[in-house]
Amino acid sequence: MISGVWLWVTFVLIALATHIPRGSFIVAGSRARLPSALQRALRYAPAAALSALVLPDVVLDGGELDPLNPKLAAALAVLLMTALRPRNPWLPFIAGMGVLLLLRKGLGW
Amino acid sequence: MNDSFRRGAREGFRAFLPLSVGLVPWAMVTGVAMRAAGFSIVEAIGMTLMVFAGTAQIGTLPLIVSGAPLWLIVATALVLNLRFVIFSAAISPAFEGIPLLKRLMSGYLLVDGVFAVGAQRMLASTDKDWRFGFFLAPSLWAWSLWQVFVLIGVLGAELVPQGWSLEFMATIALMTLLVPLAASRPMLVAALAGGVAAVALRGMPLKLGLIAGIMVGIAAGFAAEHWQHGKEAEAP
Repeated sequence: MISGVWLWVTFVLIALATHIPRGSFIVAGSRARLPSALQRALRYAPAAALSALVLPDVVLDGGELDPLNPKLAAALAVLLMTALRPRNPWLPFIAGMGVLLLLRKGLGW
Repeated sequence: MNDSFRRGAREGFRAFLPLSVGLVPWAMVTGVAMRAAGFSIVEAIGMTLMVFAGTAQIGTLPLIVSGAPLWLIVATALVLNLRFVIFSAAISPAFEGIPLLKRLMSGYLLVDGVFAVGAQRMLASTDKDWRFGFFLAPSLWAWSLWQVFVLIGVLGAELVPQGWSLEFMATIALMTLLVPLAASRPMLVAALAGGVAAVALRGMPLKLGLIAGIMVGIAAGFAAEHWQHGKEAEAP
């Protein structure tokens, strides 16, 4: 465990590693411009990035592919709720955590 | 603070408000996770004020706890945040004519949800004051919500029973951002390809599989868009 002054140094560096990417093009402004084809391709970045964060978490269990795990069942419940009731922000959390806890605690999966 | 700034602020806030509630559980999870990692209350608050990023905060915790070398922690944070280079580039034309200091502040405030909800509408507007209002109001709202509910998580960490799989709420939060995005076919292709590639490439060192997966997803979405246009052009 990193502690004391080094923990704060770590925070500063993580902050820089966050805010330099965030600010990059917004701050550079009109002096830096991506080519328009790249610009159009980048519209797909959010969907690709979010999916690349989420999918490994729900189909992997301890680094191994496991299509029958409680997290995937919970994710399907979240998907269903987000599609059926897009206006209610709490339902996906209630449904997802409900299914996960039911399977893990209730059925010991 | 002219009329179009205020109008933009109102519209941006209204567009982001429903989605922003999704930050609440995510922020609380981050607060609990930092305390569970052994941070003091002051350290947890300090990290949240400085970093202000759920993915980077949650993603680096296990490395900090295990005493990983500093360069590995920073590299991981950088990789997790590279998507912001892409977001920043995509949204930067909307900051044309905005002074440097405000652009610096906007960089600090840029989060996934506001980008997802606002980028298209901001880029379509020709009024720079409206655009800045449309960005600033929901971004400040996201910042405030984040800080308050991380604090609640930090202070309430002792009350949450152990072993409730609360970390999964972070995944649910990301999913609620993803689903509305995947409405058009090329977007869906980008999401599926990005996810599958990230799973397939998970063995790459330093979580580079995540970046590689994102690249594959973007390329697939772009290709699907071209293929769709080609088919439409052929149709009589």
